[in-house]
Amino acid sequence: MIRRAIALAWLRVRREKGRTILGVAGITAIGALLFDMLLLGNGLLVSFRERLDRSGFDVRVIASESAVIAGPPIERVTAKTAILRRAPSIAAVQRVRLGSADVEGVQAAHHVTVAGVDPDALVPWSMIDGTFPSVGGPPAAIVINRNMSRVFHLMVGSRLVLEGRCGAALHPLPLQAQVSGIAAFQNDATDALTAASSYAAVAALCGESDSDRADMLLIRSNAAAGGADAAAAAARAALPDLHVLTNEQIVERFSRIEFSYFRQLSSVLTAVTLFFGLLLVAVLLTVSVNQQLGEMAALRALGLSRGRVMAGVLCESALLIGIGGTAAIPIGGMLSIWLDHILRSLPGIPADARFFVFTARALAIHAALLVAGAVLAALYPMRLVAVLPIAETLRREVVS
Amino acid sequence: MRRLSFVIPALVTAWSTLGSSSSPALLPDALVSRQLFEREHLSVGETVELSRSASGGAAKHFRIAGVYEPTPDPMRFAQERLELRVHLPDAEGLAASGPPGVPVTGINVQLRDAADAAGFASDVERRLPGVTARSTSASDDRVATFTVLDRFHLAIAIVTLLGSGAFLLALMVMLVDERRETVATLRLIGLTRARLVTQILIEGALIAGAGAAFGIVFAAAAEPAFNRFFQWRYDTALVFVRVTPAIAIRSVAFAVPVGLAASAVAGWTVLRRRTLLQVGR
Repeated sequence: MIRRAIALAWLRVRREKGRTILGVAGITAIGALLFDMLLLGNGLLVSFRERLDRSGFDVRVIASESAVIAGPPIERVTAKTAILRRAPSIAAVQRVRLGSADVEGVQAAHHVTVAGVDPDALVPWSMIDGTFPSVGGPPAAIVINRNMSRVFHLMVGSRLVLEGRCGAALHPLPLQAQVSGIAAFQNDATDALTAASSYAAVAALCGESDSDRADMLLIRSNAAAGGADAAAAAARAALPDLHVLTNEQIVERFSRIEFSYFRQLSSVLTAVTLFFGLLLVAVLLTVSVNQQLGEMAALRALGLSRGRVMAGVLCESALLIGIGGTAAIPIGGMLSIWLDHILRSLPGIPADARFFVFTARALAIHAALLVAGAVLAALYPMRLVAVLPIAETLRREVVS
Repeated sequence: MRRLSFVIPALVTAWSTLGSSSSPALLPDALVSRQLFEREHLSVGETVELSRSASGGAAKHFRIAGVYEPTPDPMRFAQERLELRVHLPDAEGLAASGPPGVPVTGINVQLRDAADAAGFASDVERRLPGVTARSTSASDDRVATFTVLDRFHLAIAIVTLLGSGAFLLALMVMLVDERRETVATLRLIGLTRARLVTQILIEGALIAGAGAAFGIVFAAAAEPAFNRFFQWRYDTALVFVRVTPAIAIRSVAFAVPVGLAASAVAGWTVLRRRTLLQVGR
């Protein structure tokens, strides 16, 4: 019976090619938007998670509750780093001190963000060219990102002077530096000017050579000794004054607070798009059925069961939404590239962040919503066909 | 007595215009943001301990003098506004009691002539290396952020318009097709194609105009509910949706031409056929 119902629906759809094409085009556009909103719902989080995992560190220690570095620095960091390194669940620890600076003699739109790290520990960036030597200058060895290379015309081996714009000192001494490599830094915005050097060099840049503080500790857990959770527990036990967050917890916090706007927007637009699409398909089917009541009554009079005619309407709805919904996936994919391009021009967004990320889950939800939409949109036209008075409809058809 | 630990940047929003505490015998006053007040179940007059360090070391006592609603900030609406304000000398004292750091992170300056802002900012930067000065009217990331969001919303609106335009066209074709015989009869009694097309266009414009008007009324009616939901969700006084005359005009300017175009195409599909064929002759 289902095959026959599909065949009947297919005949009806083919007979009205023009309106079918227009209906499918509408469903494709709405479906593409729906698909994109589903990609947007989780895209930023998936992308954020990927970037956190790519850094090689799975636990972060900071001095405040904030998931971003906004709080006070971690004091006596050398001793704290040594304590953490002794924990069996911790494979590596890196301290990060952030400062900012200007390049002497060059005016730029932003200050340069300079990260100070231990050169002999695992570093949170990927080298593109050159190296990051474990023994520093003078001049201090620094790695820079591509933007710095382009804006200041620097390459491996170039020398520069950095003027610190950090720390309590008003006039820190300029830092003589030499570019030892070009690197890709995690979380770099598209226009960010970022550099990294040794911890000591950045402390000197900020005029605080005698201080022992960092903005963040990065921990790589030992997978064989319990992974990130065990490493986080060890860090919490060793440093109860500080706040310890695993990548999982950071993602969870960002999904709840920082990224929630796009999730809410995605939920609202998904609901509106679905309702809108449902309404339009239902109207289209209802008008179509109303125009063909005479034919329906004739088919019923010829012996087609009520169930079969109703199934035909349901199949017509499924065909329209199925074809449009399937076409919506590649169209939505292309549309998401455009929308992603727009959103990635937001200031401060990391260059490799993506707002729209394809996941199997998004595809499954898209399919489930379309199936539900096809059924709901067909309900009212199916009812029209079910309660159709055969004799009266045929008589009216003949008289008219 | 409660112990609250805050990062110093929050304290530096301390207002300096009110001067220091009225009497050394009394505890210094603090104003608490409504969000913090509610989350910590504080009460006015209560004494709290504030400390710069997470361990609560070197804490100082403050008396809660009142509650304030933070100025809504669209750049920070997703963040909890857990803030408090103290007099500047008290904030400096609190900073001095903790680990060494920079007690003041920003100074607001009112110039006699606002037109001098750019020159003043560059002068300050030249005289005080390490200090960043910028005019409040200078373009910043906020403008860029909302420009991008506006572009994103416009892109979504365009896609929605394309989808609804296709549906409208399909519906108009069906509706006009239904009246095929009536149209043929009107042609036979002498009405010109131009007159019939004009009639269909007027009908399309009326439908599109009525639809757009309904959409604007619906959006205006839904505005309070939408705002209340998001204000509740983000615990903010920020207004998220506002149907302005400019937006209403813009939506009508988009909707009516789409309706007219759909009517024109639908009318053309009927009127291009031969009249006698349409009446079955």
